[in-house]
Amino acid sequence: MLSVKNLRVVFNTRNGTTVAVDDLSFELNAGEVLGIVGESGSGKSVACYSLLGLIPMPPGKIEKGSAEFLEQDLLRMNEAELRKIRGHKISMIFQDPMTSLNPYMRVVDQLMESVQEHHPVSRKEARQRAINALNEVGIRDVEVRIDDYPHQFSGGMRQRVMIAMALITEPQLLIADEPTTALDVTVQAQILTLIKNLQKTRNLAVIFITHDLGVAAQMANHILVMEKGKVVEQGTTEQIFKTPTQAYTQKLLSAVLTTAKPTASLAEITEPPFLQIKQLKTYFPQFGGAFIKRLISVVKGVDDISLTINRGEILGVVGESGSGKSTLGRSIMRLVDAQSGEILLEGKDLRTFSLHELQKSRRDFQMIFQDPYASLNPRMTVFDALAEPLLIHGLATDENVLTQVNQLMDDVGLDRRFIRKYPHEFSGGQRQRIAIARAIALKPKLIIADEPVSALDVTIRAQILALLLELTRKHRLTMLFISHDMSVVRYLCDRVVVMQNGKLVEEGATEQLFAAPKEVYTQQLLAAIPRL
Amino acid sequence: MNELNINIEKGTSLTQDAFIRLRKNKMAMIGLCILIFFIAIALLTPLIAPYTYEGQNLELGATSPSQQHWLGTDVLGRDQLTRIMYGSRVSLMVGFIATAVALLIGVLWGATAGFLGGRVDAIMMRIVDALYALPFTIFIILLTVIFGSSMLLLFLAIGAVEWLTMARIVRGQVLTIKRQEFVEAAITMGLSPWQIITRHLIPNVLGPIIVYTTLTIPSVILLESFLSFLGLGIQPPQSSWGSLISGGTETMEEYPWLLVFPGLALSLTLFSLNFLGDGLRDALDPRASKD
Repeated sequence: MLSVKNLRVVFNTRNGTTVAVDDLSFELNAGEVLGIVGESGSGKSVACYSLLGLIPMPPGKIEKGSAEFLEQDLLRMNEAELRKIRGHKISMIFQDPMTSLNPYMRVVDQLMESVQEHHPVSRKEARQRAINALNEVGIRDVEVRIDDYPHQFSGGMRQRVMIAMALITEPQLLIADEPTTALDVTVQAQILTLIKNLQKTRNLAVIFITHDLGVAAQMANHILVMEKGKVVEQGTTEQIFKTPTQAYTQKLLSAVLTTAKPTASLAEITEPPFLQIKQLKTYFPQFGGAFIKRLISVVKGVDDISLTINRGEILGVVGESGSGKSTLGRSIMRLVDAQSGEILLEGKDLRTFSLHELQKSRRDFQMIFQDPYASLNPRMTVFDALAEPLLIHGLATDENVLTQVNQLMDDVGLDRRFIRKYPHEFSGGQRQRIAIARAIALKPKLIIADEPVSALDVTIRAQILALLLELTRKHRLTMLFISHDMSVVRYLCDRVVVMQNGKLVEEGATEQLFAAPKEVYTQQLLAAIPRL
Repeated sequence: MNELNINIEKGTSLTQDAFIRLRKNKMAMIGLCILIFFIAIALLTPLIAPYTYEGQNLELGATSPSQQHWLGTDVLGRDQLTRIMYGSRVSLMVGFIATAVALLIGVLWGATAGFLGGRVDAIMMRIVDALYALPFTIFIILLTVIFGSSMLLLFLAIGAVEWLTMARIVRGQVLTIKRQEFVEAAITMGLSPWQIITRHLIPNVLGPIIVYTTLTIPSVILLESFLSFLGLGIQPPQSSWGSLISGGTETMEEYPWLLVFPGLALSLTLFSLNFLGDGLRDALDPRASKD
């Protein structure tokens, strides 16, 4: 049905020509699912977007190649012809359902718009089709909800609406670009099942773009592995996962964490406990009203949590978005103020500290943030970023600060020559190394890591996790590791707590919890992990 | 990528980096040269001016540019070149000092309000609103009535209005970046609010600050002529660009050169400032291409 041959896409920029896709060929038949996997920058999205004329041209340019779709070459079509194909014969689902739906249009209008664009039907008929489509993707109370705006739906529901919109014109080919990356694991599992079922009943051809090998394994018949614009390997899903022939594919597969923590726990029980949290409550009051502010509701970010971390221990906090796991971390860091409760670090309650005491004692507990692109000041060089905490807390003098910064760079595996570079000159993984170096610069006793590897590619993720393990051993760190990714937590943590809606659901030693989860919610979380 | 081996021992700070990059920007350098030229002329005026600014020649009256008077004379027969040169002293001084005052107060006020947020922010911004609501003309007339006319008062009056907009712009920018993780990282490192504002927030809002500054200077120069008209600031026979331009508009049909030349001087300053401002904004942003 679709046959792409020797596709080559380049981008001409001021700094020269970048080859985004080079010599890409593949075939796809009706009823087949092709998974395109690769890390960010591998050209997997650009390849599919260029088929539909969705890359900006210039700077983009399709240099050569052909893409036969139902006996027509997509690459030779003009914009008007392509528009008839796009959203009609070929539909797309994007990663972020919030930004790909128009926030000012009712869901029903958006659905009807795409029906009427391609089919000459009456408004009544179009509305009926919209209702049918939403029913098909499993939206409840369609008759009521159809007149809602996109923001009134949850993330998973919005992605269902997107799918309904993609399928309402009865396409023959569906291109799904990381459709579940922005979703929670349990929701991801539901959406994947939905796509799989729809694909079967409608005999759709699907191109499924993902960075997650587990998802690809679950969805695709054929897999195409891309790296730096080139096809590394392609074959049936079984071939790729059972007998990969290329080194890069093997590297990708080995980066998928399926194992338990490789080193023994270093936890030692002390009295008083290293970090003890007692009945911590962090509430966010919501105010409303036009003239006089009044309390309308209270969002319970952290709702009565008590836990203990021993010295040298890595405690994992898992939960889905909105479970309050980040709020817990930020409350301990005193980035948000808790309502009540105690945060006892070596017996001293951080909540009773004055602003000045807090500033001084902050060297004892540091944080690693999720997004290495946002957590570094874009106008400070690596040197400035790492020297700042040392100088402010008087741990270094102007004379020896350079030596100390160099040592930190060695610690986190960054080349000393890069010391005068700015954050934007580094890759995501390197930036996260800088952020880690900054966190350990003050030789803290406790590190709170809030999803530190979620924004990174799989191979980079494995490196950063190994680095964290090494550093906790070398510097005898205690860590609170917040993550939504169960496999990462299993690899890194000694003990795990599971959170849901601000409350602590279950707590236990990592392997014990993974082997025999007691609570239903934990079981759901574990079952939702895509497996190879 | 030759910055790999530049002087790792000493290193370059953001300002040094910015200067290196600014030097590569031709338009910005031309703008800087023109500004320096104007400032030099302004400083040297008493030594190099061909005539005195108040010396009248009523018999001569208004003449077009000639050998003796390069830029012509005004209706009282005063040399236009001399008057523009003397005028530049007042105008540039007002432009730079009043803007500097506005910049200093506005940036600190806005950044503090934006960063601290909550009740402090509300109170600080209500003060700004209240001052905004004060009718400017009445405010000036009051000042003149109470204190009489002086240059110091002029700076004060202009500074008092111009910082308001700057404070609002900076506050808005700070609000958008203070939730970013690098600011939270700075908090967790134990920096004081003052250190966070000066080291992390202000450097990241420099772009809009610089652009707005380059727009403020020319508007301040024109504002001066309005204030002088109300009796605050300089009095005839002293001259400034603003007063020359407003005088020139009255006679522009008969003697166009009286409008054209001071207007040209102001426009050239404005262009130079804009090019320099754009250059500075790019130079201070390490993300702008460095080729």
